[in-house]
Amino acid sequence: MERPRIGIFKYSCCAGCQFQLIYFQEHLLETFGAVDIVYGRMETSAGSEEGPFDVVLIEGAITESKQADQLKAVRGRSKYLVPIGSCAVNGGIPAIKNLTPELEVEQRVYSRIEPIHSVRAHPADEYVRVDAYLRGCPVGETDLIELVTALLLGTRPRMIDYCVCVECKRRGNTCILVAEGAPCMGPVTNAGCGALCPSNHRSCYACWGPMPGANAPALARKFEAMGMPPDEIVRRFTEFGCPTLEFRKGAELYE
Amino acid sequence: MTTKTITVDYLARVEGETAIEVRVPGDPSKVVRLRIFEPPRFFEGFLVGRRYDEVGDIVARICGICPVSHMLTAIRALEKAMGVEPSEQTILLRRIAALSQVAASHLVHLYMLAMPDYMGFDGAAEMLPFFPDRMQRLVRMRKVFNDLTAVVAGGRALHPIGTVVGGFTRLPVRGELLAIRERLLQIRADARETVKMVADFETPTLKGDREYVALQSADSYAINQGRLTSNKGLDASEDDYYNCFEEQQVDYAMAKKVTVRRRGGLVVGALARLNLKYNALFPSVRDLARTVGFRLPDENPFHNNLAQSLEVVQAIEECVEMLGRIELRQEEPRVTVRPGEGKAVTEAPRGLLHHWYVINRKGVVEKANIITPTAHNFVNIESDLHRLVLSMADQPLDAIRKACEMLVRAYDPCFSCSVH
Repeated sequence: MERPRIGIFKYSCCAGCQFQLIYFQEHLLETFGAVDIVYGRMETSAGSEEGPFDVVLIEGAITESKQADQLKAVRGRSKYLVPIGSCAVNGGIPAIKNLTPELEVEQRVYSRIEPIHSVRAHPADEYVRVDAYLRGCPVGETDLIELVTALLLGTRPRMIDYCVCVECKRRGNTCILVAEGAPCMGPVTNAGCGALCPSNHRSCYACWGPMPGANAPALARKFEAMGMPPDEIVRRFTEFGCPTLEFRKGAELYE
Repeated sequence: MTTKTITVDYLARVEGETAIEVRVPGDPSKVVRLRIFEPPRFFEGFLVGRRYDEVGDIVARICGICPVSHMLTAIRALEKAMGVEPSEQTILLRRIAALSQVAASHLVHLYMLAMPDYMGFDGAAEMLPFFPDRMQRLVRMRKVFNDLTAVVAGGRALHPIGTVVGGFTRLPVRGELLAIRERLLQIRADARETVKMVADFETPTLKGDREYVALQSADSYAINQGRLTSNKGLDASEDDYYNCFEEQQVDYAMAKKVTVRRRGGLVVGALARLNLKYNALFPSVRDLARTVGFRLPDENPFHNNLAQSLEVVQAIEECVEMLGRIELRQEEPRVTVRPGEGKAVTEAPRGLLHHWYVINRKGVVEKANIITPTAHNFVNIESDLHRLVLSMADQPLDAIRKACEMLVRAYDPCFSCSVH
């Protein structure tokens, strides 16, 4: 594809994935040279949300009905639509609020809730068909480069779809779950970070969300056998991606 | 003269989502609204029920450009709540992590968000073919600061993973730090070049009497800890935060407005810091400031950009100095969970950041409150918009609209943070 026309839409999130795209990542100037960001309010005052786009990148969780309406409209203006980052892919941190009744969460923060129109936090695929998932918190560089390259070549991107354990083994780390009894979420978490936490003396906290088809109940039972209290097990499976079927199955055993 | 309303529906090149509504010509009974429409994110609501050791990772996700500030502020508040005393080494490393992020954040604002205004472009990508050298300079500098944040705060610059209550999960190796020190020396010239570039931006002038608030401490350019001070006589401990400031909900914005009790609006951020603690800067940075025409007190909000560029130079000099003398000894975070309450105030890149937590005997959060730099600046951004409109009454609407956008941008607001 010649210079793909890209639109970036931000919903409820920290905007870190956009910053990863336009600032933090290694191949910043090459990316700017290869694609046209024709709409992205954090990047440019030009362009309009009307498109048309070759690819729309969705950042953030959907937490208001007008965001959902816009998302559906944007889907119709783009060849491809890809959620980027945990919030858009699996609900991420914003979805922690789904564990408490919405009204209660709102009243903890605002004394008057009349101006507030929030709904439960959901990932993009709750509302529209998506063509790929660009995972990570923030999005991983390997997947990001793979996606841009595949677009330019017109091929199907091959995104990372295995768990953090694979990357740990590649780095030659001793397994902290087995050897130290650390509450590591690596076995159920999608890889792409390079096993960052286990390589820095801490347990994976699942910031990339579940690997597709992850066996969360097995890991939850392992945590129980290690002596972890039920409320702690629930927290492990609800920090990131609690709306996903995979992590729900881990948490619901101990709720 | 008929009254017209200037509206910017979705302000570009700022973090997060806001609209601007200003009625012209300005009038004391005016409508000037920073309508922050970004949906509320309820961090203070869903932090309740989470354990202390998750809080740093969760609040990092308030902001994709100053995650380290949120982590360090939360962690220090939690440490106070539990009576954890961080080591001298931890305090030093945290200062390096914070300064590296302040510099990286200022650079993204100066080059990618603000600069296109002054060069007549819509965005940084559009500038790339015309000013490749400037963009390459940004990339060179950014890389060094991001690597420094990652090495110290752990694993990655954006949402780092090694910074926890009690210290760090992994300490850097001295060799890594010395290698980055060398690279900092190499970007010294780039940073000074940046100051000159920003000083050459043609900015509108907007004088006015404002209350500047920043942290100060006796021995350094306070970043992670200090006393709350202002040019109007404020001088208080961070524990007295709520005796000094109050926050209020407004109907047209999802961010709350902060005022100094019994006085009103305030300004925080790089310009406030320079105005209050100029003498804590390195002499070489003060020399550079004089060379480019920075004069105290500087009351032009557009000069926040210049103040940021000077802070980048200060960050390099400080980090070079600290990295040169640091001796690392192996230590691990030690935490005993106990119930308590803790408040912390720090200087995030954009200014004063406050976190407050109450935790129970299991270390689980029972109450949380977070007040961000943009909430602190909210009232003053609006009053400056009004000042600006009054000063431009005879000019075409388009010029006024553009100046209003530039003014809001000069504050380097983060609306995503403000609706946390």
